Amino acid sequence: MAIADEQAAKDTIVEALKKKKGKTKFYLKDYYKMLPDEKLMDVKRLVNQMVKEEILEYWSSGSTTLIGLKGLGKQHATEEDE
Amino acid sequence: MAKHKTPLIDQLESGPWPSFISDIKLEAESRAKNEKGLDYQIPRDVCEDLLGVLELSYKDGRTHWKHGGIVGVFGYGGGVIGRYCDQPQMFPGVAHFHTMRVNQPSGKYYTTKFLNDLLNIWELRGSGMTNMHGSTGDIVLIGTTTPQLEEIFWELTHNMDTDLGGSGGNLRTPSCCLGQSRCEYACYDTQELCHYMTLHYQDELHRPAFPYKFKFKFDGCPNCCVASIARSDLAFIGTWRDDIRIDQGAVKAYAGGEIPSNAGAHAGRDWGPFDIQKEVINLCPTGCMRYEGGKLEINTKDCTRCMHCINVMPRALRVGLDKGLSILCGAKAPILDGAQIATLLVPFVKVEEPYDELHDIIGKVWDYWMEEGKNRERVGELIKRNGMQEMLKRCDLEPIPQHVQEPRANPYIFWREDEVPGGWKRDIVEFRKHHQR
Amino acid sequence: MKFRVDGSVISLNLENTIKDRGENTMAFISSGYNPDKPMVNRITDIGPKKYDQFYPPVIAANKGKWLYHEILEPGVLVHVSETGEEVYTVRAGTCRLMSVTLLREACGIADKHCGGYLRFTTRNNLEFMVDSKDKVEPLKKDLMSRKHKGGSYKFPVGGTGAGITNIVHTQGWVHCHTPATDASGTVKATMDVLFDDFQNMRMPAKVRVSMACCLNMCGAVHCSDIAILGYHRKPPLLDHEYLDKMCEIPLAVAACPTAAIKPAKVELADGTKVNSVAVNDARCMYCGNCYTMCPSMPLADTEGDGIVIMAGGKISNRRSAPKFSKCVVAFIPNEQPRWPTMTATIKRMVEAYASDARKYERVGEWAERIGWERFFEKCEIEFTHHLIDDFRDSAYYTWRHTTNFKF
Repeated sequence: MAIADEQAAKDTIVEALKKKKGKTKFYLKDYYKMLPDEKLMDVKRLVNQMVKEEILEYWSSGSTTLIGLKGLGKQHATEEDE
Repeated sequence: MAKHKTPLIDQLESGPWPSFISDIKLEAESRAKNEKGLDYQIPRDVCEDLLGVLELSYKDGRTHWKHGGIVGVFGYGGGVIGRYCDQPQMFPGVAHFHTMRVNQPSGKYYTTKFLNDLLNIWELRGSGMTNMHGSTGDIVLIGTTTPQLEEIFWELTHNMDTDLGGSGGNLRTPSCCLGQSRCEYACYDTQELCHYMTLHYQDELHRPAFPYKFKFKFDGCPNCCVASIARSDLAFIGTWRDDIRIDQGAVKAYAGGEIPSNAGAHAGRDWGPFDIQKEVINLCPTGCMRYEGGKLEINTKDCTRCMHCINVMPRALRVGLDKGLSILCGAKAPILDGAQIATLLVPFVKVEEPYDELHDIIGKVWDYWMEEGKNRERVGELIKRNGMQEMLKRCDLEPIPQHVQEPRANPYIFWREDEVPGGWKRDIVEFRKHHQR
Repeated sequence: MKFRVDGSVISLNLENTIKDRGENTMAFISSGYNPDKPMVNRITDIGPKKYDQFYPPVIAANKGKWLYHEILEPGVLVHVSETGEEVYTVRAGTCRLMSVTLLREACGIADKHCGGYLRFTTRNNLEFMVDSKDKVEPLKKDLMSRKHKGGSYKFPVGGTGAGITNIVHTQGWVHCHTPATDASGTVKATMDVLFDDFQNMRMPAKVRVSMACCLNMCGAVHCSDIAILGYHRKPPLLDHEYLDKMCEIPLAVAACPTAAIKPAKVELADGTKVNSVAVNDARCMYCGNCYTMCPSMPLADTEGDGIVIMAGGKISNRRSAPKFSKCVVAFIPNEQPRWPTMTATIKRMVEAYASDARKYERVGEWAERIGWERFFEKCEIEFTHHLIDDFRDSAYYTWRHTTNFKF
């Protein structure tokens, strides 16, 4: 039971992320809402796949994990050389 | 000659308990000498600077570390914790000081070959400081730079056949007691089940899957040496259903003071001669035992398997033969809604491959939590918020008295409409035929 | 890496810094990983090595066949198998934070005495196993003979039975960004004071001491006989000038578990208006989760931070159900490097328990039998209003609902 049109689902996620203002990182649960018709496990798989494809990236607080578009966010400036 | 003066932390070198300060200095010295002629991949004086920043914290009474969330190895959401020093000019050797969690082998047995190989990687590519082990159970490698993360991961996976552990909203590295490998109390092979589950759920361990952290812990018996009942979202605790096995001869030997009680655990003080009535029979919380005419009897039906009598007389009493495990759920430290000790979910499961019953419960708990859990809500808090009934329903489990310490004291039962004959829709006209306004 | 000093942005390149200091020049050694093609030959999702490759032969041969065990003396156990074979275990304490050099020394000991095998316990002790009794004494002697330059033991033997074993703990000032105290230091200071009981078994039952350096408890201490807990008492500082530049405000807001943070417009001293946050101080529980998300909200404070002491928890199901630890001292200031008030308080509790509890009674069972009012009296601890629970529903169940109490 995978997502029927993966590319469309990915586009939906990227579009939804681009629309968010002032916030670049989201919990996995927020991604479920972007694809309300899909199974949670499938969304999880897709989101993690998009990290592998370098569309998204993880940000870890140590106890939780946030996911956002790769390279975005103010943390990059404060943490690492670009 | 030390790089930084450290008069405060130097005071932690005296006294009998192993001094972590002396140990960091040992490593600083080893790196300064570099007898092996290593091309250290992170600053050679990293341990000097670690001592320096620690001294500063002892002076200030404040930490000097900052969190970093981006660092990690490619494609993994966990296993690396980013750390940066907030005084990098003073202590450039620890400017980057990230942690890597390495998945420990179940039961924490090692060969020196394996450990030495791991130490060689970490000496070259990291600070040389470790935690053996972290709170969750991982081997923790403390302090390296961002470029070394992938290199270390590569060496671990290619040369050590070993992977990183979990962090963040992932399945955390499962851990277990040493179980049947060296304990007569273990009711199942904790190491095997822990290892199997770790491999089976690798995707959940390395990539975010959940609203928050999720922990499995495996204890072989109700003594709970790895604290599964206090620290894991799903605790698998060994137990048995039949009679405690009794060696009456050995019971007599204990009663006669020939064998030290509690496996010799109380030998440091003279507690007087062993008194089986006082120390075993009277302390049994269910009163299910008696010792008469030199014979010990246990009424199995009343026994709750608390282990007291077995702990006191391990040579005379052994756990039963019909062994398995109980599953308890929802334990956690206080953040946020208060600490929880785990709640009984499944009283007894036989531990048999392919572990269908266990997978079934794990799957149902995760489905429920992924669907209903709020961000950063542990499964124990979800159970509290929505009620134990809902948890049982979602796990397809029949409610039984074993699920509660006691039944509810308030009568505010929220009946479901389908439980009440005729439902909730009533006819007011029909009612008024019999009752005036 | 970029960071800021006096408001300006300085770019510090790590490698340049190293070269500037002229000593640590190093050549990058590749493991084989190619940063341009991270997926080529990548190995992932393999988990740990299988545990049974690390079994000493006597363990491999007798797994599942053990009949019983006995503690022969503090730190030395024997397990006897139905095959007649025996394994002798010598347990030694470690400070958890261990160097490569010290671990190599431990490996050397294992090579010399134990055929190249060793293991660690859940409570950060080392275990060296041998297959016959005559090998125990030389091993023990070897372990106890090894000392650090400062005088402390490297591998003290002990930690068994009705004594005080190693303290499990967290990172503290050595490595964490939200600690309210140091972990390794408080543990070292405490274990020095309790050391005799690490090597003795005179307690009524085992005493499990744990340490966590903030209320997030990455090392859970909520079910320990005695718990040392680092605790902050001040809400985070707000670096308004930089907050919006360094942090995503919605993330800082969402990080707060008690919803005490909200977005706010703030006027700086020079009149500039900036986006920042406001903290409802009364709602703040000092968890530091906002600092994790936002480096402009630091939490650490010299006077605000210190120690809470908890007591009476347990995890074993023996005789009574597992119990939570209870707060018995609301606050002790950080007195580094040796925390004398804290260690004296713990010592008093241990001595009161040792002299008053019955055989097999854990600290919590003892406190419940004599009553918590007696516990405070016997441990010479002052009871303060902070120790009465007022957090959510469960608080009610901890108040006294009977006329049965002791004067």
